[in-house]
Amino acid sequence: MTTPNTPTESATPARSRRPRSTGSMQARTLAGYAGTYVVLAVAAVLTLGPFLFSVMTAFTSSRQFAQEGPLTIPAPPVLENFMALFAPSEGADGFVTPVAVTVQMVAVILVGQMVFSVLAAYAFAQLRFPGRDLLFWVYVATLMVPQVVVVVPLYLMMSEMGLRNTFWALILPFVLGSPYAIFLLRENFRGVPSELMDAMRIDGAGTLRLLWHLVVPLNRPIIVTLVLITVVTHWNNFMWPMVITSGPEWRVITVATSALQSQYNNNWTLVMAGTTLAMLPLVLLMIVFQKQITSSVGDTTMR
Amino acid sequence: MNARRPLLGWLLIAPSLIGVTAFLILPVLLAFVVSLFRWDLLGTRDFIGLDNYASLLADGALLNSLIVTALFTLISVPVSLALGLALASQLVRALPGSAIVRVIVVIPWVCAPLALGVVWKWIFQPSVGALNQILGVRIEWLTDPSLALPAVAFVAIWQNVGYISLFFQAGLSRIPGSIYEAARIDGAGPWRTMRYMTIPLLRPTTFFLAVTQVVASFQVFDMVFALTGGGPQHRTEVIASLVYHEAFTSSSLGRASAVAVILFVLLVIITLIQQRYFARRITYDMS
Repeated sequence: MTTPNTPTESATPARSRRPRSTGSMQARTLAGYAGTYVVLAVAAVLTLGPFLFSVMTAFTSSRQFAQEGPLTIPAPPVLENFMALFAPSEGADGFVTPVAVTVQMVAVILVGQMVFSVLAAYAFAQLRFPGRDLLFWVYVATLMVPQVVVVVPLYLMMSEMGLRNTFWALILPFVLGSPYAIFLLRENFRGVPSELMDAMRIDGAGTLRLLWHLVVPLNRPIIVTLVLITVVTHWNNFMWPMVITSGPEWRVITVATSALQSQYNNNWTLVMAGTTLAMLPLVLLMIVFQKQITSSVGDTTMR
Repeated sequence: MNARRPLLGWLLIAPSLIGVTAFLILPVLLAFVVSLFRWDLLGTRDFIGLDNYASLLADGALLNSLIVTALFTLISVPVSLALGLALASQLVRALPGSAIVRVIVVIPWVCAPLALGVVWKWIFQPSVGALNQILGVRIEWLTDPSLALPAVAFVAIWQNVGYISLFFQAGLSRIPGSIYEAARIDGAGPWRTMRYMTIPLLRPTTFFLAVTQVVASFQVFDMVFALTGGGPQHRTEVIASLVYHEAFTSSSLGRASAVAVILFVLLVIITLIQQRYFARRITYDMS
């Protein structure tokens, strides 16, 4: 396995280094720098533009928006749209419940998935038991199953069990572990030196101690990566929560955003406040953990 | 040196095995079964053999969504790969300031496609949207039948380019600089270097990305749901959107399951082709 060569420590291709002292070479290098900066500036502006417009609109009063159109700078910036989401009036459903439901759902799924995936990955990587290789093959095969294929049968199963529109229905399909996480963790757990494990076993450590004090700390980078992927995936999940819940009680933030848009079709200042709230936590998470996220592509997929 | 602990092994995998069996394997089997029934939300359950498949073919709904999904894939995957490579080739030069751009371009990838879809729905609005305001035009981006699918594909490209560029950045940084030195000494210009060296050397990365992006774009749902809901005139009714509408708008769970089964079979075929191709063609392993 190659060490993941993160983009941050990338080797600069030789052609942009050491311009020879001839004038035309220098001019060409300068033109090359300018070209690069043009590409990077365009990419940054096109990426940030939509976010900037939507956040600006979220802070614009609906009256100013109606009078001056979509590209006005909020003057003065107002909080009325966010207030309307957190102190909803006249029967409108706010964002308080969706934020709380989403946080709980993500937390429970995260803990369950990490614990059960670590246990299974350890068994697949370090223990021998009959059926192990066949079972692992089955787990890998299930990576091919997309959510949209199972959404109708899962809906029928949950309805049959009387779990429609409950918190259980939101978490149950995901909380018992993820084949993807197990697959990645197994690859990494196989690299734990057996001498260290044997030494701990001789000292009388049980499996859980071994995992908590040796295997997990040694594999912190991949675990952090998986935590981030799990949080992003389930914070953003839409189709399953939309299908299996109804009404405001167990509404998650993506479903609330969608409902807000169809309910207040032309009240775009309010809708943009909703999308801002739905996206802000993950954008902050991304900025805090940028190193892990940008380097994780090397760990998670190129093998 | 693996320890032989059969009981412990089974105990440790038990929770995930229950999860995989109950919530992935069983539903796939159930989808096959339900697809053979006339099955609605009110309780009708009549075995009708392959009639759901026949009616989906006869009324053109299935063919339409296969074509829409294929077109969406054919637009979004090549364009986002090409732009991702172009962006990556500038980012790996590591000029001052590019570290910030590297983070900025990945931001859309962590955001919910549903929320981004709602933002872009507003940007595309004919009169109160930002895009027409900037361009000084009045175009019905999402309701004109010939523009809706390209508009949806554009948003998908916009969301994915930065993420794709991460993989190309990793791939580019694995190519040794000495190769470029040699090419320069031999008098190869930047375009020839790109065409005859960089692109062939990046083939494993490109191929991996092409496969994962094709598989992902065959499952696209949230963004389409937010932007167009499958309209106008079913012009953006991708496969996942058809599954949803058949099941939860038309209450035809049997037909929805038949579409899901066909999607599943398609994805299995794509994955198998990918594995055969991977086994034969990955020749430029730099590690």
